Amino acid sequence: MKDNFTYLDNAATTKPSDEVVALNNVIQSEYFANPNSIHELGVLANKQIYLAKEKILKHFKLTKHKVLFTASSTEANNIAIKGYCLNYKNRGKHIITSEIEHPSVLECFKQLEKEFGFSITILKVDNNGQISLSDLEKSLQNSTILVSIMAINNEIGSINPISKIAQIVHKFPKANLHVDTTQAIGKLSLDYSDIDMFVVSSHKIHGLKGSGALIYKNSLSFLPLISGGGQEDGFRSGTQSVANAVTLAKAIDLIKKEDVNHIIELKNRLVSKLSSVDEIVFNSNEKCSPYIVNFSLKTKKASVVVEALSLKGIYVSSVSACNSKKEASSYVVKAISGDDHRAHNTIRVSFSKDNSLEEIDVFTKELINILETIR
Amino acid sequence: MKYDHIMVRYGELSTKGKNKKDFINTLARSIRNALRDFSNLEYIVRLDHIYIKLNDNSAEEIIEILQAVSGIHALSLVTKIDDNIENIKNTALEIIKLEEGKTFKVHTRRANKKYPIISDQVNREVAATILRSTSLKVDVHNPDIMLSIEIREDGCYLFTKTFEGAGGYPLGIGGKILHMLSGGIDSPVAAYLLMKRGLRIECIHFASPPYTNIGVIEKLKDLLGKLNVYQDKIRINVIPFTKIQEKIYEVSDESYAITLMRRAMFRIASKVAIMRHFPAISTGESVGQVASQTLDSMNVINEVTNLPVLRPLITTDKLDIISLAKKIGTYDISIRPFEDCCTIFAPKNPKTRPSLEKSKEFEAKFNLDEMIDEAIKNIEVIYVSKE
Repeated sequence: MKDNFTYLDNAATTKPSDEVVALNNVIQSEYFANPNSIHELGVLANKQIYLAKEKILKHFKLTKHKVLFTASSTEANNIAIKGYCLNYKNRGKHIITSEIEHPSVLECFKQLEKEFGFSITILKVDNNGQISLSDLEKSLQNSTILVSIMAINNEIGSINPISKIAQIVHKFPKANLHVDTTQAIGKLSLDYSDIDMFVVSSHKIHGLKGSGALIYKNSLSFLPLISGGGQEDGFRSGTQSVANAVTLAKAIDLIKKEDVNHIIELKNRLVSKLSSVDEIVFNSNEKCSPYIVNFSLKTKKASVVVEALSLKGIYVSSVSACNSKKEASSYVVKAISGDDHRAHNTIRVSFSKDNSLEEIDVFTKELINILETIR
Repeated sequence: MKYDHIMVRYGELSTKGKNKKDFINTLARSIRNALRDFSNLEYIVRLDHIYIKLNDNSAEEIIEILQAVSGIHALSLVTKIDDNIENIKNTALEIIKLEEGKTFKVHTRRANKKYPIISDQVNREVAATILRSTSLKVDVHNPDIMLSIEIREDGCYLFTKTFEGAGGYPLGIGGKILHMLSGGIDSPVAAYLLMKRGLRIECIHFASPPYTNIGVIEKLKDLLGKLNVYQDKIRINVIPFTKIQEKIYEVSDESYAITLMRRAMFRIASKVAIMRHFPAISTGESVGQVASQTLDSMNVINEVTNLPVLRPLITTDKLDIISLAKKIGTYDISIRPFEDCCTIFAPKNPKTRPSLEKSKEFEAKFNLDEMIDEAIKNIEVIYVSKE
C-alpha cells in the first residue's frame, strides 16, 4: 500500500475516525460481557447500548422513535421493507419505490413481488434523479402500506424532497414512509420526525464497518428476519455488539453541520477544473448533494481510467469493471439519461471532510493527463 | 501388527542405466522435500523401490502428500517383519483379517535367493493358514484382496493396500522450461502437466496496466499457490507490455493486432528463456480455440523463434481442460473476472490466416527490437512458494 494517497471514494466507505477507533478499543476490552447476561457485567454492557440509543435519538431530535441496531444499512433496509411488509400484509399488499434505489431496497421489493405476492409500483425519475410528486400521489392506493424513497442517491447524489414526500404519503393512513438515508446522515438537513423508518450506516460517517441501525416510529413492528433469543425487541435476534452501538452513536455525535461548507468548496473546485474537458459529461448537477460527483466518459473506458488513477494512488469508483464477460452498467445513469454508453462509463468521486483542495487539484491534473494519454 | 513402512514404486520403468539412477535420485529428493515437515522418517532407496520407515508418523498424511509427487507410480502401506515362516503366516493372517472381501491371492517374491523356502511354497503355506482360519476363498485371477510378500535380505515386507501415485517423472529430471502464464483456465493446467512430466517451470506473464487490472497479478499468485504442491517455488517474470501493445494498435490493421502481439510475446519469451538458460518455452495453447490458435496463426507466430515450443494441451478438449483445472484447484481462481487483456484491445475480426509478409511489414514500421529490450530490462520478478 502506498504511503501517500488520495482517497476520493467516501460514498463507498470512509476511514474510521481516531476517536471511534480509540473508543472501540476501550469498549472491546472493558464492556465485553454479553448485554443479555443478568449479572453486573451484563447489566453494565446493556446500559451502554441503552445510552447509545438515547444519544442517537437526541441527535435527531426524535421522541417517538426507537433505534434497532443492525450489521449494516442494507440489513436495516431489509427489516424496514421485508420485515415491515410481511408483518402488515393483511392491511394491504401494494408498495411503492423508485427506479434508482440502492439494490438493498430494490431487491427486497422484487422478492416481495416474486415470492410473497406483493404488487409493486416503481416510480420513474427525471433527469435530475428525482421522482415526480404527482406520480407518487397518483400511484398511492388504499392498499398501499409502504413507500420507500431514498434521500440521496449513492451513485449520482441526487436529492429527493423528503418532507413533501412525507406529506403526500401520510394522507394515506395505512401507508408508512421508509427513507434510505444511508448517504444523507450527516450530509443533509432533514426533519427526521416526518419519516417513519430511516437507516444509518456507520462506516459511511467515519464509524466502523459491520455496524448500522434502523430508526423507526415506535408504533411499528416487524416480522423478524433473524429469529432467535429475542434481542432488539424481538425484531433482530443475536448478541448485540456493544462496541458497534457505542461507536455508531459517537460517529453521529461527531457530525458537524458546518462540514458541508468545506465539501461545497471541494465540489466547486472539481467541477470548475473539469467542466472544460471535452471527454467528460456530468451525471450529477447543481441540485445534487455536494458530497458526490458522478460523470461519464465520452470515448475512453472508465474502468481503465480508474485503474490508471489507482496505480497513481488516487482512488475513485466506477460501476463498470474491466470484465469482458459481463460489462456492468449503471442503471441509475441509464435512468436519468437514457444513454447506454454513458451508463457504461461512469466514474464517481465522493468527498469527506478530510479531503483538501490540494487533493482535488492532484486528482484533476492526473485525470486530465490520463485522458490525454490512454487509448 | 502395524503398518510401519510406505513402499514407493516408480513409474516409467523403461528408463535404464544412468538415467534410471538419475530418476531415482531425483525422485528421492522430491520425496524428502515433500516430507520435510515430518521428523524421524528414514529412507531406504533401492533400485526397484524406495521404502520410507514411518517411525510413528501418520501414514495417511504422508500418503496424501506423496500422491502429489510426480514420478511415483504407486504407494503401498507395508509392514516389515523378520523372515521366520511362522511369523510370516501369522502376520499375513492379521493383515488379511483387516481387509474386506471374499477372495484372496498370495503373491510372494523372493528377492533374497538364499531364503530356504521357495516362493511357491510360501504362497501355499500362507494361503493354507488363511483358508484354515477364515471363510475366505482363493481366487488366482481376480481376487478381492491381493496379499503381497517380499522376502529380502533385511527382512520380509507384507502389504495389501496400494494407492495410485501421480505417475509422470520426478520434478527436475527433464530440465527447466519457461512457461507463458496468462491467468486464464488453460495455462495453469498446462503448467501442471509440464511439472508432472518432470519439468521445473518458470513463468512469464505480460501485463498491460492500466488496461489490465492489478487483480490479475494476485490471481497469478493464487494460481501458482495451487501448483506449489507440485513445485514448491515458482518464479514469475512480469513483462511490462503496455507500450508495445499500444504501438501495435497504432501502426497496424486491427485484424493483425493479436498476431503481432503474440509474435512480440514469443520474441520476448525466447529472449528471456535464452538469457536464463532455458532450452524451451511452453504455452497453454490448444488448436482452434481462438483465432490466434489456428495452425496458420501458430505458423506465423512461431516463426519468430527457434526454440522448441511445448504445448501440453494442444489436442485437449476444453471440457477436459476444465475438468483437470477443477481437479488441481485452479478453475475457480481462473474464472475470477480479472482479464489479462482488456476488451478495448479485442479486435472484432482477428485474422485466422495471417500473412507472414504482412506481419513483418507492420513490424518494420516501428522500433520493435528496442521496445522489446526495454520491456525485458524492466521485468518485475515475483516468487510464489509454499509457506
